[in-house]
Parts: sequence; structure tokens; C-alpha cells
Amino acid sequence: MSIVQSIKLAIKSIVARKGRTFLTMLGIIIGLASVITLVSYAKGQTKEIMQYYESMGSNQIQISASKWGAGGDKVFQSLYDYCLKLEDLVVGVTPSGSVYGTVQYGAKNSETMDQRPTVYLGSDQWSLCNNFTIGKGRDLCYMDIKNNTQVCVLGSKAAELFFDYANPLGKEITVCGVPLQVVGVYAQKDFSGNDYSLDNVIAVPYTLNQTLSLASKSFTDMSEFVVKAKSKDATNEAVTLLEVFLKGLIGDSQSGMSYGYYNVYSTNQGQQSADEATKGQQALLGGIAAISLLVGGIGIMNIMLVTVTERTREIGIRKAIGAERRTIVLQFLIEACMICGIGGILGILISYPATWIYCKQQLGYLVSPDPSIMALAGVVSVLLGILFGLYPAIKASGLQPVEALRAE
Amino acid sequence: MLIDIKEVFKIYNEGFENEVRALNGVSLQIDRGEFVAIVGQSGSGKSTLMNILGCLDIPTYGDYHLDGTDVTELSDRQLSHIRNKQIGFIFQGFNLIPALSAYENVELPLIYQGVRTREREERVMDALERVGLAERSEHRPTEMSGGQQQRVAIARAIATHPPIILADEPTGALDSKTGQHVLQILRRLYQEGTTVILITHDNSIAATAPRMVRISDGSIVADQEQEVDWL
Repeated sequence: MSIVQSIKLAIKSIVARKGRTFLTMLGIIIGLASVITLVSYAKGQTKEIMQYYESMGSNQIQISASKWGAGGDKVFQSLYDYCLKLEDLVVGVTPSGSVYGTVQYGAKNSETMDQRPTVYLGSDQWSLCNNFTIGKGRDLCYMDIKNNTQVCVLGSKAAELFFDYANPLGKEITVCGVPLQVVGVYAQKDFSGNDYSLDNVIAVPYTLNQTLSLASKSFTDMSEFVVKAKSKDATNEAVTLLEVFLKGLIGDSQSGMSYGYYNVYSTNQGQQSADEATKGQQALLGGIAAISLLVGGIGIMNIMLVTVTERTREIGIRKAIGAERRTIVLQFLIEACMICGIGGILGILISYPATWIYCKQQLGYLVSPDPSIMALAGVVSVLLGILFGLYPAIKASGLQPVEALRAE
Repeated sequence: MLIDIKEVFKIYNEGFENEVRALNGVSLQIDRGEFVAIVGQSGSGKSTLMNILGCLDIPTYGDYHLDGTDVTELSDRQLSHIRNKQIGFIFQGFNLIPALSAYENVELPLIYQGVRTREREERVMDALERVGLAERSEHRPTEMSGGQQQRVAIARAIATHPPIILADEPTGALDSKTGQHVLQILRRLYQEGTTVILITHDNSIAATAPRMVRISDGSIVADQEQEVDWL
């Protein structure tokens, strides 16, 4: 008997049992598509959480420091100089204070907005320290800081609020009545869809502090700074060094020689709890995948095993009229491969629209099926199908024909 | 001698309390071209004997030579070949594959034999014509009456032109008229030179066979030649 003949026998058997073929395929298709969709959704969600924490910025050191008799810009100058010496540990340093005041462009006024943008006083390293990258135009530069240039860079959300989708570059907005030219827009970094978007920001040179303070007739305190470290280890080391430095600069109450206050805080502490949350999420994900696979697998097994008795008799008949054992096993193998292969391909194909639609509905954006779970679920369900399709053939074809014929 | 079994035993649960001796030292010789009825009551061991004669089962003890070959020495694969080429089975329960059409059921043993498509087609249609079912070749067994199903089974048995036909209660599931029709087909096969072994519990059917072997409690109790009216 040739292999072509075996394939023909298998096709004949598949076509002759349309109902069973359909049910088996349906089991694989639904099982596979739902496993892929669920896991891809959970993965998309995890990724979202991770991205959120990532966009908040890691390896960030936040410093509050104020020295009596010295302006915030003086404290920053000392900090800046010191950070230059820490170039092995630190990649950037910037003031991080915010300005309270009205932002206006034409008829659009921040006072009437639900989501008011935050105006940050920053150095040319502000974007670096806060994980922003420039999307359009240019970033704040050293000359802006040095010359107190009246410019600003908008976060993508702020740009959307004031300009919709028009080009904001070169336009003039006012902050507390002070005109500032928009020179750039940062790329979007917050995809969470939260109301308080991290992209709803406006960065202005910190040297405009006095101008803005005068205009707003309120004292704009510049006592918040951010230092961006190179790595986790560098962050810990820099925190220690910065504490020592600030103690020297400002003094502390313990030594009785205090000229102000300071506080150093690493955002990695927040990051750590975020990491733990993500780990929990991932464990959950694994659980969902395992259970879905198990349930899908049992479904496939069930359908295959239901036909064992029928097929055992059939194998008895085939043996009685002269089929060799290997002929029977080969036919059943080809049969199971065809059914499971086609079912597997259809299941994977269906998982695409299923994942897209479900994630669009639940997360608000498109997530594509995850390739690793697609491979895993595909292999597991197809293997299970083949295994349990082959099971009656291997078992029954080894029996004496009379025993297989007796199956009921 | 076509079939030669000597001192054949078939024992289930040997050595246990519930030991059953389905065959208890049976010896039987059948020549080429004979028509033999093996008759016995239910549980007498006649079906076990037929299973062993048809190589569907192996004896616990004893010798079986089929056309000079020691069957007890053969591998599973060689036994498949013997069933395929030497023996045509007709079962009481028809044992057709329900998912396949009449044509496909008859075709199956020829496929296993490796007969080419065109010749296969001729032989299948020839066999179906001989049982009078050529026009129903595309029907599934479930769409047929019992008599028609048994005729499909006969067509399957004769399609390979085997030297031996083994029929186990072929009329058991049929009404007497269709049963007679099936018996007539077997007689014609015998007249054409095929060795026919007919297993039955029905004495009136056994009485119409040229040779009758009576089996009881796993042993042969009578073996006689008899006059029949159809010869």
C-alpha cells in the first residue's frame, strides 16, 4: 500500500464523517482562538502597565532643596556643577518646579479646561530627565536657558488641547500673560488613556522664573529638582552622594548649622512596587494561559475519545479484511494531522479579528495576537488532537481483530 | 488439505477459577472446494472456531495449517495478508463501515491488496452485480435493509476472489426469505469452486450443507456427509 493510497483513505474517512470532522475542528478552532485572544489581551494589559511606569521615568532622583538667602537658580547652579563631577553616574539634571498661572492661546484658556496643563521650569535636560523625546521642532537648548529666551516646548496632550491637530510650531502662547513661542512638541509617551495624561505638560526655560513670577504676581518657588541617573545601581550611589553634597551645601538641623532644607528621593522605590505589580500580573497571565490550554485540550480530547468505540470496531473490520497495522495507524495519523492542521490554521486565523475586536473594546486600542502564545497553543492543541486521534488506532490495531470487533 | 487443525484449545482465564474452555481439543480437516456447515448452540464454541479458522484470533494451544502454512508461526502482518487474500468473511452483524458507501466498503480489501484503480473498479462492480446491488453502489449501509447490507458484505468477501468463504450466522439477522437468498449466493459460490464454511445454530440450515460438523461444549460431536436437494 502506497502513502498516496493512505492519504486517499484518510480523505475519504474525513469526508465521510462530516459531522465528526466539523465538531473536532470546531473544538480546536474555538479552543485555540480563545486561548490566544485571552492571553494576548492579558499581555497587552501588562504591557500597558509597564509602559505607564516606564513613561513616568525610572532611575529618577527627585530633590527638594532650598537655601535661605539664595535663589533656587543658585542652588541649581551648585547642583548642576556637582552633577558634572558625577558624570559616571548621572546623565542629566534639571529644575522641576512648576508655575501656577493661566495658559492661553487665542480663545483657548487653560482656566476653562478640564485637564489643565502643567507648566514646568526646566533646563535643557528637562526632557531627558523626564523621559520625553522631541517629536516635532526642537527641544529647549542651552542658549534658551542662558539668554532667558521666551520659548516653550509642548507635551503632545497640551499641543492637542490648544492646537487640535494644527501645527503649533512658531505660534505664540501666553503663560501668566508672558508670551512664549512654541519651538517644539514632545512625542507622545503616555498611552494609558488616563485623564491626567503625562503628556499634558509645557516646558519653559527655568531662567524665565523671575519673569513669570513677576507676571503672575505670585512667588514661584524653584526648589524642586530632578537628577537622572544611568542605572539602578548608579541611582542608589548618586542618592548617597547627593545627600552628602546637600548636607554640605545647606547643612542640617542635627549639626545645628542649618540654612534651609533638603530631601532626596529616588523614584525607583515607586518602580519597585510597580515591578511587583507587574510580576503578579505575569503570574496571573501564566495561570490564565495554562487553564485555557487545559480546558481547550480537554475539549479536543473529549471529541476525539467519543469516537473511540466506533473507531475500534472500524479498525477491527479493517484488520479482518486484511489491513496491516501500519496501514491503519498511518491512515489515522494522516486523518488526525489533516483535521487538526486545518483546525489549527483556522483557529489562528480567527484569533486575529477576535483579539483585535476584544482588545479594542476592552483596552481602547488594537493588540495583535501574541506570537509566542500562538505557537504554544497551536502546538499543544494540534499535538493533543493528533495524539487522541491516533490513540484508538494504536490501541485497537494491536488487538486481535476479534477483540476489536467486539468493542461496544 | 486446505484447512487442517489439530488439538486446538481456546482457553480464557486459564488457571483461574473462572476458566472457560471455548474450544477443548478440536481437530478438523477441510478440503478445497467443500461446503461445510458447523452447527452448534449458542456458547458451543462455534464462533470461536470460526474466528480461529479465519485468523481473527489465535488458539491457546494446538496446530493450524492453512494450505500447508503453519499459521501459529505467522506475524501480525502476515496474518493480515492471509485474511486479505485467502479468506472472505461474512459476519452476522455485517460489519460494514457505516461512514463509507457500499462501493467503498467493497473496494477496501482490494485497496489493501494494492489492486490498481481501474481493475479495482471492475472487480467491485462485478462483485456488486453478483449480489444484485450494482445500482445501489453509492448508498451508505445505514440507507439499506439488513438483507442488502448482508449482500454488500458478501460482495466485499468475494471481491478478492478468496479460496475460502467464512460465513458466521449470515442469515441470523435476516428474515427467512432474504436468508434464503443469501444461502443461494453461498451455494453458487460453492458450485464455482470456492470452499464455503457456514457457521449456524439453525439445524434446518445445517441440513442443507453437503457436510455437517456438530460442535458442543467446545468439542466436535458429529461430522457427517449428507444428501442435499440442491445439488
